[in-house]
Amino acid sequence: MSRELYACLHAAEFPAQAVLRLRPDLKAQPVAVLDGPAHDQSICAFNRLAAQRGVVHGLSRLEAECISGVQLLMRAPAIEQAARAVMLEAAAQFSPRIEEVSTANACSFVLDVAGCELLFGPAAQMAARLRQAMAAAGFRVSVAVSGNFHLARMKAANTRGITLVPAGEEAASLAKFPLGALGLAENPYETFALWGIRTLGELAALPEVELVTRLGAEAREWQALARGAARHAFQPIESALTLREYYEFDSPVEQMEGLLFLAARMIDCLVERASAHALSLAALAVEMKLEGNATHRLNLRPALPTVDRKFLLKLLHLEMAAHPPQAAVLALTLTAEPGQSSKIQLGLFAPQTPEPSRLDVTLARIKAIVGEERVGTPVLEDTHRPASFHTETFKVDAKTSTYDPQPARLALRRVRPPRTIQVTLRENKPVGFRDGGQSYQVAAAYGPWRSNGCWWSVDAWDTEEWDVLTADPDGVALSCLLTNDRLRGVWRLEALLD
Amino acid sequence: MATAAALRIQIEDALATRFPAALTPVVHTIRETATTGIAAVDTLLEGGLPVGAISELVGPECSGRTSLALAFAARRTAEGQVCAWIDAGDAFDPESAAASGVRLRQLLWVRCGNHMAEKRGKPWARLDQALRVTDLLLQAGGFAAIVLDLGGMDSAHGMRIPLASWFRFRQAADHTRCSLVVLGQASFAQSSAAVVVDCMGGRAQSQGKTVLTASIFEFRRRRQRFAPQLVGQRKPPASVSDTQAAWTVHAAWSAEKSA
Repeated sequence: MSRELYACLHAAEFPAQAVLRLRPDLKAQPVAVLDGPAHDQSICAFNRLAAQRGVVHGLSRLEAECISGVQLLMRAPAIEQAARAVMLEAAAQFSPRIEEVSTANACSFVLDVAGCELLFGPAAQMAARLRQAMAAAGFRVSVAVSGNFHLARMKAANTRGITLVPAGEEAASLAKFPLGALGLAENPYETFALWGIRTLGELAALPEVELVTRLGAEAREWQALARGAARHAFQPIESALTLREYYEFDSPVEQMEGLLFLAARMIDCLVERASAHALSLAALAVEMKLEGNATHRLNLRPALPTVDRKFLLKLLHLEMAAHPPQAAVLALTLTAEPGQSSKIQLGLFAPQTPEPSRLDVTLARIKAIVGEERVGTPVLEDTHRPASFHTETFKVDAKTSTYDPQPARLALRRVRPPRTIQVTLRENKPVGFRDGGQSYQVAAAYGPWRSNGCWWSVDAWDTEEWDVLTADPDGVALSCLLTNDRLRGVWRLEALLD
Repeated sequence: MATAAALRIQIEDALATRFPAALTPVVHTIRETATTGIAAVDTLLEGGLPVGAISELVGPECSGRTSLALAFAARRTAEGQVCAWIDAGDAFDPESAAASGVRLRQLLWVRCGNHMAEKRGKPWARLDQALRVTDLLLQAGGFAAIVLDLGGMDSAHGMRIPLASWFRFRQAADHTRCSLVVLGQASFAQSSAAVVVDCMGGRAQSQGKTVLTASIFEFRRRRQRFAPQLVGQRKPPASVSDTQAAWTVHAAWSAEKSA
């Protein structure tokens, strides 16, 4: 039977750590987090600098405000949830078997690391690497490694830094811990206090039979915990990869710079998390909660999945500039869709094409100049209606194959929107027309070419086309396409033949 | 001779900071060309439009500029290249482009201007947009050809484009090996253009009195830098036949092929 080995990660003061993870500007300041209803708010978490100023748990808001220099923030469960997911992901790099043992004010995970020594080195080295990985993810954690699940949990929660408990020293390592480390209900503590039992070592030394006789069968479990010998059925959690970052602002933010500052940090986190799974970001959905309970959404989909932070931030910047939120932002959520890292096989004789990521930024810049709907690839509609097309997003097809070119044809230059003209007819044939202040004599008119369709709907059309050659008094000839809208009885100048 | 050579080196050294190699003949550059797919025009331009340079197709409305530019774009997209059409007047017709053989999937179309917001006769906004977009696409690289369509713009407006813009475009086109084709009613790029082709109107051909089947367009080569020339050979006097050509382009509905 293989030896059991557990590593426990314990992030104390988690509400404060979760907030400060995305606010590096506050890390050098004393920060405390308030929790509770508006009329009864109290301190639930704080950082080390705040503790040095005298901040303790349970201080009321009024008392906390009396301590100079302490930044007071509100507890944000959504931020904590996102931070918990990040921590879980970072832990999952070391072991797939993880059980959560979080408490109200701390986020803790116990990892089953039996057999992982071959990958991450001996227990001490593994614990150091775990702590480094957590620090890179933005968390300050204590780590305890032991062959007993509960021992690792209690050790991590009650010590700082890295603790290793060798086999056979379990009871001794817990001996000086107070009874509160067991995390039991109130009743047994009062009894133990009456007996003068204050530490786990004293509890472990009590005779087992007499203890069970007086306190019931549960006492056997308590004593096993105190001796570091309690058994545990490991219940691993299933961690699905969710690339999501959330931040709720203390006050509404109107400036784009402020949003981008935070978004840059969130993108960094998402990229790091995706990279840890050898993935890239294929799409990024940005959701902004606005004042007035409105929501503003933006979607970024680069041509290729990428982990280029600057590129993603530039895309977001341009998208936000093109579609700015209509009110101040209260909360920001970034959700990324993971994708496989892009690999492009370039050919020596392949035609030169735009670089996909650079083209994305260029197209976003152009859209900001001319408008989103005015940039793209023209696609003809499957209809006989003249001048029917729509535009689609321009994408470079890497698998483009060459084909035989067709012979050149006479091209039209469209007049958008078509200009209404006054036409003079003789024997139902145009002999002259007037476009604004300019009159034209028709030298030759070819037609009519009639087309109609959609007679069953409001989009019905019935037109008559004429190819007309003109010569104005100056001798400048025009070749143009005139249409007669037979439904409305209007003549229009549709295009010039150029 | 030794004294003359020494004197030349001395003068060049003295002027080096202001005029590099002042007395040394400029190295003649032979540009790579890309075919337009129209034999008459390719012959006139000795291979086609230059790669990595500005070409101008100049002429009034209905003189064949757009047909020629579409033919060039069709040929480039047929080779698997990517092209862009910057449409300052919003006049591009996708149906004509498809009929000319342009592979629309490989064409980026940028429509400048906003008819609702623009005052009649004041094209500054769309002209500014067109120039900025051209700059961005040239800097991005990867486009084999970019057509800057100023064909519907009054020449007085186009002439107000700063020459500095054209110098920048020329440099960018050179670096990215992009053929920048400018359609206009006059030559706007002036000395920055490697090739200027005058389009001089057309004559219609019809079948009976009901079908317009083709137009015959005439072209004249006004300017061509980087033309292939043998070393030591003097430039021959240009005759009318050397600088002019005609091209028959059939309508999309005509069964005959253009020549």
